[in-house]
Amino acid sequence: MTDLAFLTISALILAGTGAAAWMLRRSWQAKAGNPQWRLAGWALLGACLILPAFALGEARGPFIALSLASVAALLVVASGYRLRERKSGRSSLAPEPAERLSTTWRGVLRWLLAGPVGMISAMGLGICYAVWVPGEPQTRLVVGGMIVPIAWGGAMAWTLADSRILRATTVLVGVAIFGFGASIMKGFT
Amino acid sequence: MTASKSAALPKKRKPLMSRIPADFVRAVLKGHSGLGLAFAAVIYIVCLSGTLSVFVDEFERWEDANAPVVESVSPEAVQSAYESAVARAGSGLEHVFITMPAGDLPRLRIQTDAEEDRIWFADTQGELVTESHGQWSTFIVALHENLHLPRTWGMFLVGLTGVALLSSLISGILAHPRIFRDAFHLRLGGSRRLQEADLHNRIGVWGLPFHVILSLSGAFLGLTTIIVGVLGMAVFEGDTAKIYALFQPSPPIDNPAAADPLDLLPMFAQLPDSGGHLTSIFMEHPTEQGGAALFNIRYDGALAAADSLAFDRSGELYYAKRAEDFTLGESILGSLGQLHFGWFGGGVIKIVYGLLGLGLTYLAAGGVNIWLARKRDQGRPAERWESIWDAFVWGQPLALTAAALSTVAAPGLAIDLAVMVWLGISLGSLAAAAALPAPTISRLGRGASGALLLLLALVHILLASGPDAVSWTIDLVLALAGAVLVASVFPFRRGRHTKHLPIGG
Repeated sequence: MTDLAFLTISALILAGTGAAAWMLRRSWQAKAGNPQWRLAGWALLGACLILPAFALGEARGPFIALSLASVAALLVVASGYRLRERKSGRSSLAPEPAERLSTTWRGVLRWLLAGPVGMISAMGLGICYAVWVPGEPQTRLVVGGMIVPIAWGGAMAWTLADSRILRATTVLVGVAIFGFGASIMKGFT
Repeated sequence: MTASKSAALPKKRKPLMSRIPADFVRAVLKGHSGLGLAFAAVIYIVCLSGTLSVFVDEFERWEDANAPVVESVSPEAVQSAYESAVARAGSGLEHVFITMPAGDLPRLRIQTDAEEDRIWFADTQGELVTESHGQWSTFIVALHENLHLPRTWGMFLVGLTGVALLSSLISGILAHPRIFRDAFHLRLGGSRRLQEADLHNRIGVWGLPFHVILSLSGAFLGLTTIIVGVLGMAVFEGDTAKIYALFQPSPPIDNPAAADPLDLLPMFAQLPDSGGHLTSIFMEHPTEQGGAALFNIRYDGALAAADSLAFDRSGELYYAKRAEDFTLGESILGSLGQLHFGWFGGGVIKIVYGLLGLGLTYLAAGGVNIWLARKRDQGRPAERWESIWDAFVWGQPLALTAAALSTVAAPGLAIDLAVMVWLGISLGSLAAAAALPAPTISRLGRGASGALLLLLALVHILLASGPDAVSWTIDLVLALAGAVLVASVFPFRRGRHTKHLPIGG
């Protein structure tokens, strides 16, 4: 593909996803929501994300479109900015983080759960997947490896939010013991 | 309204995110806030250096602007250039890495890994023309990948940062019940907290696919060593080589007896005419009898597909992995680096990644700004932390620009100089927070960063410019960025026009 053709397709994707974001904003601006604009917006966005697979490569095309769509949507958001008079000390309706009583040991345990315990637990899960799920060994290993950061990130989000810290401890330790135990029992074949 | 009438009306269901209980949102927000504060600084550095690393090919062209531009090259020229580089490599040669000319980096680049690493650029005839001074590009990529810490620990810390970012994305979405209601709000001015929250949330939500791709791939790449180590211990009896062997060619049989440099020409002759283009050649022990060469061939339009062909000293093909035979896992693995750095769609996607990367960097900075603004709104301003955070945020552009300037002004010196400059200015900026209020630090940081960017462009033009248009483009971008930062120091009177909020808001 020539550079000009690539640029043209990229420009079309940017314009298409920008138009889709604009339609979604039209629907959002209407007091009761506007289903026509909303449906048209989502449909156009879907088309702009899928169709590039045919022109730019089956995996590469959608990822190019996804990247461009983010920029297009942010441009649409930026175009609707509103300037306000500067104020200070204004109370906000936004939710405030929970205030919870904590002790040192609870704080330490919470961060241990979010850090090393969550990591070991996530690794147990990922390795268990790689060992037990059927398929090509490379695929099992890579998907199992990708499970680790996702599960660890999820565990981090959960343990830092959940005030029932012993419940989180039990679940994470249990998952780690089960994951590693089941993996060692079977071995990688 | 009577009871019967109200019962007859269809009950309007609340949007999905609005049905999340308020206590749950507040608890998740607490975790989001704590995690963000704990990792904000390192996320900021990793994202800022990552944004710059997207353009590493362009930076290589900038710092070696006099290197010959090579669009294509013959096998004979490659052989000649690499033999010349081997002759100059010195003792202890272990590997040679040849990067073939490509669209983003039209150079023939030969790197020798001996007691001292050296990089050369050759012309189309295979003559070595210039030695690379690629300190800045090496500096910025190493900062992104391991923060200039010992490699294993640094990569783990960066991987952990990726996990923290991924976790923040999860908790950020869960803590955002107005995600649809506020989807297009961008209220600037007014309350500082509202402005920062709007910017934080809009960038966070609309850039979410990019943020997920980046944090997931970054966490995976950073944690690979430890995941493979634990996997090896758990189910491979500690032998991690068995895991790597599933993805890479086995190394050649070791035979350290001295030999002439590997002859690549018979290997070139065996490369398939499959429509791909040769991107690189990696040679192991090229001056030993046990030497071997791995050829990598990529295909246009493919995200991951690359053929890998390995030849031994006699020119016999002993390993071949064709793109068409990739498993799903190999395809995912092969695409991660491309997706992480935005190297899959030419200059357009690099610019898009640059913009979205700056957005993600802002997300890290803005998260702390929201926390600081909230404390101020509550009547408990954390002035010391405001100074420290502004010193950190604006100290990084200053420190990175100074590091770049040191590599341009003193190209022959080791990369350690750039690291020391970066570290010294980073620490100096933080020290300034002890004496100066946040607004002063912010103004000083912007002004000094801008002035130094202008100086960097000027010094580069005077000392190291060349015919490469990309090099001039980078100088122009540096100068423009510098001018914008300097201009931002001076107050301007904002017009009092007010746009109306959309009805949906």
